[in-house]
Amino acid sequence: MKSEKTLWILLAVLTFGSANAQQEGTLDVQTTVEKVQVSTNAAGEEVTELVPAETVVPGERVIYTTSFRNTGSDPADNVVITNPISENLLYVEGSAFGPGLELEFSVDGGQTFAAAESLTVIEGDAERSATPDDYTHIRWSMPGSLDTGAQGIVRFSAILK
Amino acid sequence: MTGWKRQAALACVATCVMALSAPVFADGTPAGTVIENTATISFDLGGTPTTLTSNTASVTVVERIDVSVSLQTAQRLVTAGSSDQPLLYTIVNTGNGTETFQLSVNSAVGGDDFDPTPSATSIYFDTDASGDFNAGDVAYSPGSNDPVLAADASVAVFILNDIPGSATNGQRGLSELIVTAATGSGAPGTVFAGQGDGGVDAVVGATTATVTLAGEYLVSDVLLTINKSQQVTDPFGGSEPVPGATITYSIVVEVTAGTATGSIVRDAIPAFTTYVSNSLLLNTGALSDAVDADEGELDTSGAPTIVVRLGDLTSTDGVQTIEFQVVID
Repeated sequence: MKSEKTLWILLAVLTFGSANAQQEGTLDVQTTVEKVQVSTNAAGEEVTELVPAETVVPGERVIYTTSFRNTGSDPADNVVITNPISENLLYVEGSAFGPGLELEFSVDGGQTFAAAESLTVIEGDAERSATPDDYTHIRWSMPGSLDTGAQGIVRFSAILK
Repeated sequence: MTGWKRQAALACVATCVMALSAPVFADGTPAGTVIENTATISFDLGGTPTTLTSNTASVTVVERIDVSVSLQTAQRLVTAGSSDQPLLYTIVNTGNGTETFQLSVNSAVGGDDFDPTPSATSIYFDTDASGDFNAGDVAYSPGSNDPVLAADASVAVFILNDIPGSATNGQRGLSELIVTAATGSGAPGTVFAGQGDGGVDAVVGATTATVTLAGEYLVSDVLLTINKSQQVTDPFGGSEPVPGATITYSIVVEVTAGTATGSIVRDAIPAFTTYVSNSLLLNTGALSDAVDADEGELDTSGAPTIVVRLGDLTSTDGVQTIEFQVVID
């Protein structure tokens, strides 16, 4: 069954890599970039998996995942995770993932953030609703606190222009 | 497994793995571009604000090889036995890197009535960008002047064929231009390691990096061209199409092959204009408006229409020029 396989792959993705950004008494944060690879296994079944994206061609989709964990001895409050969206990338509408977190975007290089539906841009003399092509940053804010040893992930997809 | 992780994993199955789509962008990100992403996390620890950055996740844009080929004229009228008949194509590098393209011609195509014969030199560049094959156009020589196109750049080329003398009126002959990326072609996704711009990988795109496109020759015993032009003279010495201004129409007819038997040109006087009496000329000679022995008249049996009988025309008759004038009401 395809969904079972996918689940296993995603669980593998959720395991954290080397803790090179780990600091004593703080948070560990890691970012990966991956892409979806569809292949056929020896049994002739179609296998969908996420593989590290070292290269990408225009039109291809990449998936950014940022994982974080409280490695300190105190709970962390007001946790906010921010990712830039390169000008060469087009955010895939609706792809942001971060359960329980508040999602906002920026269209001004990360200076200000707002919910997608309330973002506008000035074009010439007119103001219009922002589109995914306008997004420069994506941000997740965590209500409550991240307890010692607790962890989470956020994720979004983008297509190379 | 913590609740966090379980929730994440399950939601991800639904949201993160979706069908791959490949939208087409007019300008692809250039091959060799490195896209970096560093996440920032900020938080308060015991009331002290802290900001940390993650590792940098980077991905390199590799070269996507794609090409598109189009015909400027899908069909060319030719006569049997004629030589060096051109078909004009445009080749566009639709990939995101600089690519060299190899060209060839195949005229042994099925589905037509005869096979054209590729000329001794069968491909030329439209060097002067005139759209017509002429003396200034440079011959293509495989391997020595293969076109090198930057991303989104294009080049116009002619393929030349001779038409067999045995072809008859109304028959169709097909000839193909084949364009292939020099780096390589094949199924989309085929990788040529290290062969892209600046040593990045090159990957074949949706076009398979090769295109074969056929143009058509249609044999016609008679080749006739007709062109109409106009010149406006207003009552004030200018050329504004105002009421009272005179329009001089010029109709040029030429036969370049065969015999156009019993040729007649008919041209209705435009609405909101009035024909200028006795303004009808054939090759600068006056024709009367009346229906009589000369070659032309103003036919007023229906809507006023100029009629000129050119008779049996061949290439030896040269250019036939009809002129007449109207005044804007």
